[in-house]
Amino acid sequence: MSVSKTNVKTGAAGRADGAFTFEGLGITAVLLVIIVVFSFVNPRFFAIENFLNILTQAAPFIIMAVGMTFVITAAGIDLSVGSILALSSVIGFDFMTSGGHPVIGVAIIIVVAVALGVLNGVLVAYLVIPPFIATLATMVSLRGLALLHSAGTMHYGLPEAVAFLGQGKVLGLPMPVLIALLAALFGYWLLNFTKFGVYCRALGGNKEALRLTGVSVKRIEVLVYGFMGLMVGLGGLVMIARIDSTQATIGTASEIHVIAAVIIGGTSLFGGKGTIYGSVAGAILLAMVANALVIGGADFFWQLVVTGIIVLFAVLIGNLREGRVSMAKLPLFGRTKS
Amino acid sequence: MEAKELLKLANLNKWYDGLHALQDVSLTIGEGEVVALVGDNGAGKSTLVKIISGAQGSDEGEIYLKGKPVTVSSPKDASNLGIAALHQSLGLVGSLNVFENIFLGREETRSIGPIKVLDKKKMRERAIELLGELAIDVPRLGVPVLSMSGGQRQCVAISRLLLDQVNLILMDEPMAALGVAEGQKVLDLIERLKEKGVSVLIISHNLEHVFSIADRIAVLKNGRMVGTVSPKNSSRSDVVRMITTGEGAGPEGAAQ
Ligand SMILES: Nc1ncnc2c1ncn2[C@@H]1O[C@H](COP(=O)(O)OP(=O)(O)OP(=O)(O)O)[C@@H](O)[C@H]1O
Ligand SMILES: [Mg+2]
Repeated sequence: MSVSKTNVKTGAAGRADGAFTFEGLGITAVLLVIIVVFSFVNPRFFAIENFLNILTQAAPFIIMAVGMTFVITAAGIDLSVGSILALSSVIGFDFMTSGGHPVIGVAIIIVVAVALGVLNGVLVAYLVIPPFIATLATMVSLRGLALLHSAGTMHYGLPEAVAFLGQGKVLGLPMPVLIALLAALFGYWLLNFTKFGVYCRALGGNKEALRLTGVSVKRIEVLVYGFMGLMVGLGGLVMIARIDSTQATIGTASEIHVIAAVIIGGTSLFGGKGTIYGSVAGAILLAMVANALVIGGADFFWQLVVTGIIVLFAVLIGNLREGRVSMAKLPLFGRTKS
Repeated sequence: MEAKELLKLANLNKWYDGLHALQDVSLTIGEGEVVALVGDNGAGKSTLVKIISGAQGSDEGEIYLKGKPVTVSSPKDASNLGIAALHQSLGLVGSLNVFENIFLGREETRSIGPIKVLDKKKMRERAIELLGELAIDVPRLGVPVLSMSGGQRQCVAISRLLLDQVNLILMDEPMAALGVAEGQKVLDLIERLKEKGVSVLIISHNLEHVFSIADRIAVLKNGRMVGTVSPKNSSRSDVVRMITTGEGAGPEGAAQ
């Protein structure tokens, strides 16, 4: 009967991802508030030049946050991104500065990073090692390998074509910003408009349900970490090209920045859904705070302190929004009313 | 019975650690036949469905499809053999929306050059069609199923069974969360499937439903097949007695 058909309503104008807009609005509002407040406190903050500077600083983290959005959406985590960045960049950099062809050098960085990402994926999917432990182990071991390769050595002097990726401008836009923008658009498309994106969300939301549909869950898991590796390679490339140098300790603590950007953006730590827009905004937010601290003359170490606090707040806000914690039960807040 | 045999289970055994969950279970299902599987909680009904659908392996025993021995070691195997299953846990992803769930693993795509993109429009239209077969009031296709009622979710899960042409549909308590009208719609749906020649194995605790829809009723108790009876020749109290005592009921009981 046609009666039952009329029961199915299709919602507003064919928008499938309605819930997404709201979360994007939240983080955007926070960003705007920060811009206004910082600009009042220090007018030097509010300048096009400074904003481009912030975006350039944020670019490698934006790129890596795109990858991390997939990992966390799939209910995983990758603590090894900083170490993958270091190892792939010292190997590729070394190759180029000892006369290797720049294109091959860039390819080495990308391929090494992807391979290490795949390694994480295999550990998680096939050896069933929890992501936190698997990537903690590779974080330590890969950093060790980077140090074995280049301890105490500062590599510098990239071929011009490669340095352009970090220092060049196209249409007035710094290359890092342009590359980050492309990575973000690609990630948005991948997450929302492809099978891979649906499977990542399903993997994080209900792994068993995905398995029961016949999809190879392990293959998806390996691909997720492999894609993370790809984004680390790309982000690392932008980072070393911008400063035209690398060393074995590069990217230390970058995992916390990348994970923070994703969490601040609204991607659930519990898996199942993620937002690329939020992750990009989160990375920009962190870069703004860092920039403001620098302009304000604060010690670099304050950046670490503040980043940690922001992460805790972001998770708390997420828990409140998703109802895992209620305001009434929080210490301090709880006593006001029931 | 007179119908041609579609599926035959021969002496299936399943152990969970020490627990002998299925003991030499045999059962046949004819083409276009509706068989109801009943039994107390923990009897092994869901375990049987998981084995036939490839969600879990069996430890011993054979499965035959149209007389040929088959191995169903993964959900993929089952779908290749034309078997679709609704599990008791529904198998939905809470954070995905209605049509993403219905099409999970079988997405419609369109090609832009060499690149494949989800065809959301097509999936949406198809989802409306499928849900139209059930009395379901879905607020919006774009909302995550997490935010839907238990019955709505169950209907979404049932509609997944209708996506592909299949030979055998397994339903583990499809009406558990449904209201009267919705439950009746599912019974109607099973009737239509049967007319199309699809075989159905349905698990239900509701004997009224079972007697109204089933061609045969199979009773499991503590992992053993007590026997199968025809609803025409048996009463509800016969079936209840089989479920509780584990004793077969006369000649039909011995037939399996
Ligand atoms: N994954 C598992 N691991 C260990 N034991 C299990 C598992 N699944 C089921 N069992 C056990 O096997 C037996 C049969 O379970 P099953 O789920 O098949 O029962 P059921 O007939 O479907 O019951 P219900 O009517 O409650 O759904 C039960 O004793 C149960 O505890
Ligand atoms: Mg069960």
